[in-house]
Amino acid sequence: MTVRSIVVEGLGRRFGDFVAVRDVSFHVEKGEIFGYLGANGAGKSTTIRMLSGLLEPTSGRALVAGHDIAKAPDKVKASIGYMSQKFSLYLDLTVRENLEFFGGIYGSWGRALSRRVDETLESIDMRSLAETSTAALPGGLRQRLALGSALFHKPPIVFLDEPTAGVDPASRREFWKLIRGISSAGTTVFVTTHYMDEAEYCARIGLMVAGKLVALDTPAALKSEWVPGRILRFEGEGLVRALSEIRRTHGVVEAQSFGNGVHVRFDPGHTTDQSVLAAVAALPAVKVRLTEPVEATLEDVFLAAADRKAEDAVRGGAS
Amino acid sequence: MTAPTETSAPTSSPRAARKHARSGALRRIVAIARKEALHVQRDPRSLYLALGMPIVLLLLFGYGVSFDMDHLPVVLVDEDRTPESREIADRVFASGDLHMVGRASSGDEAHGIFARREAHAVLILPRGTSESIGRGEAVEAQLLIDGVEANSAAQLQGKAESALRSASLAMSVEAMGPRAVAIPTEVRLSTWFNPEERSQLYLVPGLAAYILAIVAVLLTALTVSREWERSSIQQLFVTPVRTYEIMLGKLVPYFLLGVVAEMTVFVVGAWVFDVPMRGDPLALASASLLFLLGMLGQGMLISIVARNQMVATQVATMTSMLPSMLLSGFVFPIENMPLPLQVISNVVPARYFIHALRGVLLRGNGFPEIGFDLLMLTAFACLMLFAGTKRFKRELA
Ligand SMILES: Nc1ncnc2c1ncn2[C@@H]1O[C@H](COP(=O)(O)OP(=O)(O)OP(=O)(O)O)[C@@H](O)[C@H]1O
Ligand SMILES: [Mg+2]
Repeated sequence: MTVRSIVVEGLGRRFGDFVAVRDVSFHVEKGEIFGYLGANGAGKSTTIRMLSGLLEPTSGRALVAGHDIAKAPDKVKASIGYMSQKFSLYLDLTVRENLEFFGGIYGSWGRALSRRVDETLESIDMRSLAETSTAALPGGLRQRLALGSALFHKPPIVFLDEPTAGVDPASRREFWKLIRGISSAGTTVFVTTHYMDEAEYCARIGLMVAGKLVALDTPAALKSEWVPGRILRFEGEGLVRALSEIRRTHGVVEAQSFGNGVHVRFDPGHTTDQSVLAAVAALPAVKVRLTEPVEATLEDVFLAAADRKAEDAVRGGAS
Repeated sequence: MTAPTETSAPTSSPRAARKHARSGALRRIVAIARKEALHVQRDPRSLYLALGMPIVLLLLFGYGVSFDMDHLPVVLVDEDRTPESREIADRVFASGDLHMVGRASSGDEAHGIFARREAHAVLILPRGTSESIGRGEAVEAQLLIDGVEANSAAQLQGKAESALRSASLAMSVEAMGPRAVAIPTEVRLSTWFNPEERSQLYLVPGLAAYILAIVAVLLTALTVSREWERSSIQQLFVTPVRTYEIMLGKLVPYFLLGVVAEMTVFVVGAWVFDVPMRGDPLALASASLLFLLGMLGQGMLISIVARNQMVATQVATMTSMLPSMLLSGFVFPIENMPLPLQVISNVVPARYFIHALRGVLLRGNGFPEIGFDLLMLTAFACLMLFAGTKRFKRELA
């Protein structure tokens, strides 16, 4: 039996006439890394802010750590850590002072407080920076400190709102190592991101498009649902100019240029790698240098989902 | 839906739970206060504000507030009615500093003259003036000053004295030759409504209120707006901290700073301007702390509503400086204001603070006499803090 850390039912939030989040339902299991993916303004932060008790929902309900966010916001607050999208620790305080402050806010005191500060510094690998002014930290370290203070009181659930936005790739990898560590220690992680590669680390992903949760599943399941089939990557000459001919090839669902090559997706029930390869190589003015099978990315999923949403909107508007 | 394993800290009884909650609140307040103190330490501008501004303003105003005035309106009472007394009066008013606006038959009319605001002073040349001059003796003129006109009182005194001195001296010299140089001239002064005969005594309580109002309101005006601006308030509000705990915690360091500023004002007042302390020190302390709390609360409320440090500073300066200067009885006596302003002055806390200060310092009052002032100051402080907490909650949603 799994334990549900977060249960969301028909949650919605409107600002005046504008619906920022519309009728969202999902649940997150204990210790899971749950990713929330969506373009700017999709409603990710609004969802997180509702779940952490910063914003009242205008419809629906949610239980966080077993507490109703509308009825027991204080109990919710005691059970969560929150890292806001905008860095919001105190720049004029040192690393240690920031941690001590949040520790004090959570009722930690005296020797227990300083022990926990040291522990936290250790866990985010910032012991040597304890006395550094927060203003002097580069972005990646600031984010790590923010994570440390969100986890200071050992909450069973943390909400991380774009924790790696604007951070260099090496720091991002480091950061995700920390996230996987806290998740395997049993902490539930609810994280939003813009980066598709990061989303791969999540156990399950919710896709937000314009305030609606359009898909929710494991990365693998999302890929096979939204971008079914096999993908072959071609590199060579004349490929991009031949895209429309490639698309007309038997069994091919889609062909797109991708980086310095072309991705061709086809239905393995109708054709095989060999016949697709042969068909592409046989096209006039095309020289294939390299062929390899590739995995669908979440980017593909995201684009497909956004497309379908747009189509739905057009169809909905026409009827 | 399965119940999660996480629960809050187990407590054995409701009483233990309440105690637990109380100590939690206290710890959160202490944490906020410590953090706020660190902000002050890192950016000592508020320190300078609290410590430097009172001294600078007090010296500046204490010495300079008597903006140089001429044509000070004076009523003449010539009891001597001799050519000499007429001449001395002509000479006194010739300089233009003092302006004769009328004559009266005796000093008894001074009360009515001041009450009707016809003049700021009554100059009395007593019977025997001409003989005194003839004999080279001191002229014992009398000057009755309306002490409510604190600004002009000091100048009137000085100008009347020097004008009389040079007039009687010149006349003595004419009558007796250069021998007269050593002859003393005396002006007996009586200040009405301000028996201290010194305007600073009257000014310092007003200044104290004015300075404390500015300092205290400015001190807290940035404390919340800064957190709105940097969005650190979001981080605070996902913690179990309550709005009133944030407000109390933030008040602590600024309250201490305000107390220091307050003491500075009184020490400088006593030391430089010899302001006495005739009444109950405890009453003085109560009034001061209540006023301080109200002003800090006002700054906090502004800080919560403004959301932006620049707006907060501007609003704080306007709302503390103008009323405590103009509507408090500091510069303009409340009795002489137009009725609408008199009504408004009823909600200006500086008015009650100044009244209490003048009472305790100059008139030797204690709790019974300033009870109403204390009541009004308490009401204002409670109102500000209550409104701040309420607004804070609303602004967050
Ligand atoms: N307080 C508010 N008042 C009015 N509109 C708001 C408010 N907060 C958010 N919105 C709107 O709601 C929509 C969703 O915002 P939200 O911050 O949830 O998006 P997001 O998915 O987090 O985007 P981003 O990637 O930019 O952070 C946006 O169009 C935003 O302008
Ligand atoms: Mg966002």
